[in-house]
This record gives sequence, structure tokens and C-alpha cells, in this order.
Amino acid sequence: MLPEEKTGILGWGSYIPRWRIDLKEIADLWGFNPEQPEELAVLEKSVAGVDEDAVTMGWEAALNALKRAGINPGEIGAVWFGTESKPYAVKPSATIIAEALGITPKTMASDWEFACRAASEAIRVAIGAVASGLVKYALVIGSDTAQANPGDVLEFTASSAATALIIGPRDEAAAFFEASASFVTDTPDFWRRDHSRYPLHGEAFTGEPAYFKHIVGAVKLLFEKTGLKPEDFDYAVFHQPNGTFPIRVARMLGIPREKVLPGLVTPYIGNSYNSSALIGLSKILDEAKPGQRILLAPFGSGAGADAYSIVVTERVLERQSKALKVEDYLKRKHLISYAKYAKNRRLINRIV
Amino acid sequence: MKISIPPSWRNRVARYRLTATKCRDCGRTLYPPSEVCRVCGSRNVEEVELINEKAKLVTWTIIYSAMDGFEDRKPVILGVVETVESKARILAPLTDILPEELKAGLLMEPVLRRISEEGEVGLIHYGVAYRPLIKP
Repeated sequence: MLPEEKTGILGWGSYIPRWRIDLKEIADLWGFNPEQPEELAVLEKSVAGVDEDAVTMGWEAALNALKRAGINPGEIGAVWFGTESKPYAVKPSATIIAEALGITPKTMASDWEFACRAASEAIRVAIGAVASGLVKYALVIGSDTAQANPGDVLEFTASSAATALIIGPRDEAAAFFEASASFVTDTPDFWRRDHSRYPLHGEAFTGEPAYFKHIVGAVKLLFEKTGLKPEDFDYAVFHQPNGTFPIRVARMLGIPREKVLPGLVTPYIGNSYNSSALIGLSKILDEAKPGQRILLAPFGSGAGADAYSIVVTERVLERQSKALKVEDYLKRKHLISYAKYAKNRRLINRIV
Repeated sequence: MKISIPPSWRNRVARYRLTATKCRDCGRTLYPPSEVCRVCGSRNVEEVELINEKAKLVTWTIIYSAMDGFEDRKPVILGVVETVESKARILAPLTDILPEELKAGLLMEPVLRRISEEGEVGLIHYGVAYRPLIKP
């Protein structure tokens, strides 16, 4: 029996801020081709409010996951927070969320860094920690208020959202893990140096040698490990930096777009980095039926990808309506101007 | 605005989870919590958490001249809400709401937000704000 098979997802939850910006505003302001948003297949992106950050968004996602799991927060033995937009460079975000949710003090708590894939690595470690009996439950959160240099093409997609999963024993799970695999190399596709406000990237280099190579690598490892084939999966969720890459990588793996579309959230909110693939999983769990199998493949620059096979159980049905769904947050939106977006995201330098 | 670390730290749980005091004698729930019921003077009180309770907007004010540390939030909207079951009245910032959407009786829910911060290098103070209920 693989360690993964002893574990599963007890609760899941997401959060998307209310505010959105129409990408046409960004194209117009910086003089991009007006067709750029359509080419990226992203129309609007979510913008965190002036009083929001990765901690506050992660808190709400985790609260939704706790409502679904229905467990005592004090029994959570690990709070692992994946982000690349920590409010503090030094001082854990995980402890703030753990305290606010009543999980402290008998728990591990830390922040993880691997670009957009930090939370996914935390999921793999959480599986190991639960399977070994080191902890009963682990809370993993992926949350980002993604940064982008104003006027950089990245600004079209860098958005804000969070997703949380509570990982625990399979016999309490709404969906259990069958297997997982990771594929990691040293690839400089996207980075941010210490004290730099915004990340830089290798333009087209972020595609073939980074996103596609690593996701295909991880998913093929998963297929080899399990003997599963593309047709065995009902849904496929990949990291979603834009609306086109997930469809292309699915095609490379022989997975039809119909299995990708239900978990594709980026066209409506942009790329929420550590929540990017996970919010797709969250949306699918909001709607999934028992017995369905989900392929999940997050990616992070630098670079690495993971692949998971997840099977939905009967318990999913009673938990779907216990907290707000991704769709509820997608419907709650109010468009703001570029000026308000710039203020909210602190793109305007002021003396305060 | 600099807030002293010890009192801020001592009050963190009350701020994060809306810890309040329920009086076992007169039945009133009061926030912030206190060892003595501020209505009847009884010491026969228990701690309760209001973080999972919805509330109704009672009244509000819109502040255009905010104090230090709140400049980015202008206009600051402060409200008094009354929790639906325990009937506690809470003064809190209102968030995710536009001034024209304010309405007495509006159902709201508590969320964790950045309440204030000490410039770009100091502490960030988290606490509860109320936003319109997303889904009844």
C-alpha cells in the first residue's frame, strides 16, 4: 500500500476577493495589443482589497475547509502555508492563521516557498506526515496576492486568491489520494531577488522548458507508478498561469479539453499562484460525484511540478454545501479602475 | 500609529475570534470581553466566540479624515453591528462594501482583515471586520 492511499482530503475551501479589473484597462494603459487578454484567454483578474493579504485570504479559505471537514481545530498537527507574497519577510504567516482558527499551540506551523508550487510540496509532505501517524490532520494553504511589475505582461494575470485543504485519514475523507509524484529541476524561468518588489521572468522560456516539461514529467511519472491512463480520469486540473497553457498541456498528455474546463478558473480571476491549480481542484470538489477520479498537477517556477491521483468518496456530497463554493466567490464581483487596483496593490509610492 | 506590542499580543485571540463575555445572570453578551458584566455588574460570566455568528448592520459612519496608519483605507467605514443570536453589539470596520451599499439591517459576517499597520516596516495588526453576507 502506498502512503498516499492511507490519506485523503477531509475538507477543502477557497477564497476570491470581491474586486476585479478588466484586463482591457491594463492593455489600454500600457499600450499592449488590445487582443492580448483574449490571446491569454483571461478576461478579468481578482484584486485583493486594501485590507487583504495572503494571510487574510488564507484564513478564509482555511475556515471554509474546516467547516467542510467538521473536525476539532485543536487536532490539527501541522499548518503549512504556501505563498510567494508573505506579508512579513521574517515572521510566519502560518502562526497567525493557526492562532485565528484555534489550532495553536500543539501544532507545527511554517511558511513554504517554491514559487507557485510551495503549497503542493506541502500537500505531499502532509500526506507523509498523516500516513506515518506523525500528525492526525494537516492544514495546507496556498494563498497569494501575486505581484507583477506594472506594464509587464505578467500584470495581466497576477491575481489574488487562496485555497486550503485539510488532509487526514482516508476513512474520514471526502476524496482520497491514490498516488503522487514530483518532477523538479533547476530551471530559471521566473524569479524575484531579495528586496526586489516584483518578479522577473524569461518570457517564452516560462513555457516549454519550464511549465510543459515539468508538468508532463510529473504526470508521466504518476502514470508509470499507477498504470493509470488519461481515460481513467474524469477531471484534470493543471497549474493555470493563463487560460491556454492548461488546455495545451492536456493535449500533450492526451487529455481532452472537456476534462480540463470544469476546473479552469483563471479566465475569470487570473493566476492566483499558489492557489492556481488548487482552486481548480476546489471547484471540482464543489461539484464532483462519488467515484470520480481527478488528476491534479500544480507547477512552480524554478522549477517543479507534482501530479496526484485523487478519488472522490461518498462523503463529498454532505460536505459540498457546508461552506461557500468557488462559484459563490466567482459570482461576487465588482469591477474597479486601474487606479483603484494600483492603490489596493500598493503600486503607487507614497510617504506615510 | 505605533501600538505597544504586549497589549496588542494579549488581545489577539479576542480580536481574531471575536471572543466576548456572556453574563450567566442577565444573559447579555458583551464585546470586548470583560471579567465583570458591564450591564448588571455580575462576575458570573463565561467566554463565548462570535466569529461564526452573522450580524445585522445597526449604524455606521464614513470617515474622510482618517488618523495615521489608516490613510490608504479612506474613506474608512466604521459600523455597529448586532449579532443575530447573541445580540452583542460590536463596533468594527466594514469592508468589501461601497458607501452607496450601506443599509440598516443588512446581514453581515465577520472576516479577518488587516486593521492597521505600522508603516512599511512595523507590525501588521489583524482583526475582524464585517462584510455583507455572501450567501444567506
